[in-house]
Amino acid sequence: MTPFEVKDCALLTRMSGLPPAFNLRELRERIAACGDNVLFHHYCETTLRATFDNPDYRNDFAVWSKLYLGDRVLAERLGILDPYLFPSLGELRAATVEVIDERLGELTMIPWARAGDEFFFMEATTVMFSTGVRISHPSELADAVRKMTNGSIYFHFLEARRRPTIGKDDFTSWLLENEDGGRNLPYIEALASIDYQFHTLPDLRVELATRLSGLEEAK
Amino acid sequence: MTAPLAAYEGIVGATVLRQLRQFGEKLSGIRVVHVNSTREGGGVAEILEWMARLMLELGVTASWEILHGNPGFFEITKAIHNGLQGHHVEISSKDWKVYEDVNEANLDRLRPHLEEADLVFIHDPQPAHLLRLCDRRKGKWIWRAHIDISRPYRPVWKGIRPIVEGYDASIFSMAEFAQPLPHPQFLVPPSIDPLSEKNRDLSPAEIEAVRSEYGLDPSRPLLVQISRFDRFKDPVGVIEAYRMVRKVSPVQLVLAGGGATDDPEGKAVLEDVMEAAGNDPDIHVLLLPPDAHRTINALQRLATIILQKSTREGFGLVVTEGMWKGKPVIGGDVGGIRLQVVNHHTGFLVNTPEGAAHRIRYFLHHQDSIDRMGATAREFVRENFLLTRHIREYLTLMLVTLRDIKANFVNV
Repeated sequence: MTPFEVKDCALLTRMSGLPPAFNLRELRERIAACGDNVLFHHYCETTLRATFDNPDYRNDFAVWSKLYLGDRVLAERLGILDPYLFPSLGELRAATVEVIDERLGELTMIPWARAGDEFFFMEATTVMFSTGVRISHPSELADAVRKMTNGSIYFHFLEARRRPTIGKDDFTSWLLENEDGGRNLPYIEALASIDYQFHTLPDLRVELATRLSGLEEAK
Repeated sequence: MTAPLAAYEGIVGATVLRQLRQFGEKLSGIRVVHVNSTREGGGVAEILEWMARLMLELGVTASWEILHGNPGFFEITKAIHNGLQGHHVEISSKDWKVYEDVNEANLDRLRPHLEEADLVFIHDPQPAHLLRLCDRRKGKWIWRAHIDISRPYRPVWKGIRPIVEGYDASIFSMAEFAQPLPHPQFLVPPSIDPLSEKNRDLSPAEIEAVRSEYGLDPSRPLLVQISRFDRFKDPVGVIEAYRMVRKVSPVQLVLAGGGATDDPEGKAVLEDVMEAAGNDPDIHVLLLPPDAHRTINALQRLATIILQKSTREGFGLVVTEGMWKGKPVIGGDVGGIRLQVVNHHTGFLVNTPEGAAHRIRYFLHHQDSIDRMGATAREFVRENFLLTRHIREYLTLMLVTLRDIKANFVNV
């Protein structure tokens, strides 16, 4: 069996250089024009940023719509967009703009945020490195996950879904590559049963470890 | 004294420390200099105390230098500081000359450190002019703004902007604090040291000794605001809120803070606070020496509710410290407090003394909320706002800057 090499990553956030958005129309214009990295940051990397909040939604656009535009309808529609289910960032961008356009068509006034509550467009550099830790058997996965940093959880379980094969986390890809007569299937099913959209990274680590260790205990 | 890195394992876990050591290996031997203008007093000095030591332990050749000034210089830099935070202040061309002269007077002493360094971190505006004086510098220079300059008083920003534009990059604590500049603007929130004298666990006996020393009644709720005596911290507004609560609940208030060598305005503010407190025996105004860290620690642990009713704030590390002690915070709806205090989650944001009084009264009748929000707040601090996360981001920034990485994803 090929060992699984545990990687880690750290995020360095910076201003994108785009002007902030003060209202929904400006948000729409900036999203339509921003770089892929900006879109990726606010949909995916945001979970790695230091925060005191565990917001209802996992992307920054939905959170801002709810908290600062006060538009709960828009927040719900944006909040359900799962960036890992779109084949490309271009398609994610198109879907986001479509949701906002739809909402703008329904409203008689453009929602706006007060000064200080504007949406700031950011991007980040993700620095990835090998930890030197290797997992040689699926039975070791639960314990290894328990010891992983938030960066490792993000890289292997979330960010991996944007890499080929699109939509698959690294653990699942490894288990599939080393499939042996269906023995890895329970692990693959356990990983697939986790709805990553509703967890912070520390919660996700606990959830992964719990599901995987449950398989070991059931043996 | 900063604890060795290994001492943090029990708080953040071995994996987090391993991650830092792996980063450190990639930066081994790099020469880094931090410069600010005070060795004690205020959050910046506290951060630099541990940051320089831990970087050394991780293999980075780090040092911490001080820009020395006289009272006149600090009067001017305090005005610059206030102006950058939006206060209307007058800074004459003669004042700007004094600012430049003091930077220049420090140059001979600092030049060998600054010109040989691979990376120089200049903290806040006081030493920022050094960049223009070090014409033989060979490393990258980064300006670290610890304050909220989102809405500066324009004449002051016009004086500082040409200076900081020359840097290779800048760092702000939050996106909301940044100003457009012609170089990368990184975002790194600050953090606290959980093993420092101000944050480490204290024995019940030591906490009780502080209660006795200041005559605090154990049978009545205690409101605590810890901060420099600074108008932006609104200590008089806190007294107003206390008086509103006092009409219906028998609470006590502690306003405690130290002075900093670069803050000459504190004395005048303290006099205003004393006058507002009057002869009320339940208002305890404590001017503490700069090394009273354990006393502050104990006062935060004695608090029923922690207040930070600022009208302007940088990040507000004192909020983080309060949360680390498992306390909810009622904070001003400004600056970094907004990042930390989430309504009904880790405390409440308020805009007026009336708002503060309202939330204090809510907490006094909901002990379960105090316990729940306090516990939530402590876990958020553990996960995101301890020095281990902070130093990781600095190490990442150093790697990205030194290797001139432009890509958004890089394998090192």
